[in-house]
Amino acid sequence: MATTGTTPDRGDLELQVNAAAEAEQRRQRRFVVRTLFRSPTFLAGLVILLFWIFMAVFSTHVTQSPTNTGGAILASPSGAHWFGTDDLGRDVFARTMAGAHTVLIIAPLATALALLWGGIVGLIAGYHRGLTDDIIMRIVDAFLALPVIITAILIIALLGRSYAVLIVVIGALFTPVVSRTVRSAVIGEREREYVMAARLRGERSAFVMAREILPNITQPIIVEGTVRLGYAVFTAATLSFLGFGLEPPSPDWGLVIASEWSNLQTAPWVVLAPALALASMVVAVNLVADGISSAFSK
Amino acid sequence: MARFIGRRLLLMVPTLVLVSILVFALSEILPGDLGRFILGPYASQSAVTQLDHKLGFDKPIYVRYFEWAGHFVTGHWGTSYQYTNLSVFSIVEHALGNSLLLAGFALVIIVPTSIAVGVFAGLRRDSLLDRIITVSSLSMTVIPEFVSGVILIVIFAVELNWLPASATPPVGSPFVDRFYYLILPAIPLMLLELGYIARMARAGTVQVLNQPYIRTATLKGLPQRRVVFSHVLRNALVPTVTVIGSQVGWLIGGLVVIETVFVYPGIGNYTVHAALNHDQPLLEACVLVIAVIYMVSNLVADVVVALLNPRIRKSS
Repeated sequence: MATTGTTPDRGDLELQVNAAAEAEQRRQRRFVVRTLFRSPTFLAGLVILLFWIFMAVFSTHVTQSPTNTGGAILASPSGAHWFGTDDLGRDVFARTMAGAHTVLIIAPLATALALLWGGIVGLIAGYHRGLTDDIIMRIVDAFLALPVIITAILIIALLGRSYAVLIVVIGALFTPVVSRTVRSAVIGEREREYVMAARLRGERSAFVMAREILPNITQPIIVEGTVRLGYAVFTAATLSFLGFGLEPPSPDWGLVIASEWSNLQTAPWVVLAPALALASMVVAVNLVADGISSAFSK
Repeated sequence: MARFIGRRLLLMVPTLVLVSILVFALSEILPGDLGRFILGPYASQSAVTQLDHKLGFDKPIYVRYFEWAGHFVTGHWGTSYQYTNLSVFSIVEHALGNSLLLAGFALVIIVPTSIAVGVFAGLRRDSLLDRIITVSSLSMTVIPEFVSGVILIVIFAVELNWLPASATPPVGSPFVDRFYYLILPAIPLMLLELGYIARMARAGTVQVLNQPYIRTATLKGLPQRRVVFSHVLRNALVPTVTVIGSQVGWLIGGLVVIETVFVYPGIGNYTVHAALNHDQPLLEACVLVIAVIYMVSNLVADVVVALLNPRIRKSS
């Protein structure tokens, strides 16, 4: 299945084999897509996720201003303010919709970083085995011996709070887990004939890893990526809640829940709205992830 | 068995050393000038130099690491910057006791509930009930614990007024009262773990049900109850116990959040406040203690798995 690009001196037979392999790949992809769109849980997750992506981009055009402090203070939900107002008289509905923005920037970028770094580390560890593998896996174990939240707190307390810090820290802390997944996928592939053939052709190991093995382990990487995305949303929101995320007046859900905590008894909607929004987003991401992984395993 | 445990304990040593280097690097080297870090940007340079010297920050890195690690091993954990005159050891000891009480109470609820749910779903594989249980418990698992905490507090503490919204009873209440106050904090932790443990218990049950010996047990006329309890459970529990061990890390992460939500003086709450207030000695101690507990609980899980499954015990 490895396609290594076409060179002019290749024989007809090889072109045919390539074409057949590509047709097979296309067929498989169509099958996965069809399975996905028949899964009600996947579709539900997708719709909710698309809703939040839409809100993250356009919320300021479709809701009241999330920063306008004109309304009554801590007003109950009503026709004018669907989710009531907060302690500064801001519309809770508008702020909740705008709150999708921060998570949807941090979580996907952090996941992308983790996939990139974890992919590189996993490819190297799995392909070279031996001492390199042992050393890398020991370090990975050490990272995994600490709960992610604890390490994140330790680092953010030093580096300060910003988008960049959150993205890099979450990305870095997810790297060990991703590298483990990639490593085991690589170990499954490295003894295959096509890898042997590439080596005998005299390809450099970087080429074998990136152009031969990598295209054949995209499925586990995609699954790992979608699962990690769910955890990234979870982790980003939790860090915000604990005071290690963005700074006020950001409408970030975790931050709003923490800062409006004192109003929980008198005006629960202020806290409940971002909480339910966050719950819907993490569940949506995980439904999508679950759908993708079961479509691949069919 | 003793050899198995001994080997695993030995394997923990290099990981622990690496973790300690990691914590040391993050908290003692990364901030750069620690005296400046503690005193802030407005302190005079002479005061910073003086503090650096007093705390030994001007020595070479490897000397500092060995001194630092030595102090930890011998129980000299220093004094907290934040709570002046309190030894870090006594703070951590007190906090750890509280956390273990909460975590233990949560585990006592979590483990039987999730195993029961999982086995129940596994016995009714592919039924509507099974699908509902699987999807909803997994969805619960991915919701951050402060979110479920908020929802539970609003329902049970604010609206219904059945349970207290804080986790600590008023001073002078009898010890048993503490558990009443821990019910609400324990539920988000349960929701966090339920999905994984139930999923493993379900998968284990489904797999075991297909084994010939279960058919034999049923065919020789054993009542369903006996088949489930004495034949299915024992083997279905092996993967479940493994996953319970691996979930302890999540449970600790969950404790950090839940202790903050319910203002409970446990080790997670102290870790967060130590980090927010740059209380390095307390922060390092909390993190190292958490790492040790995490590793030990993984070891305990492996030992229990080995006890349940002689194949693993013998092969190592």
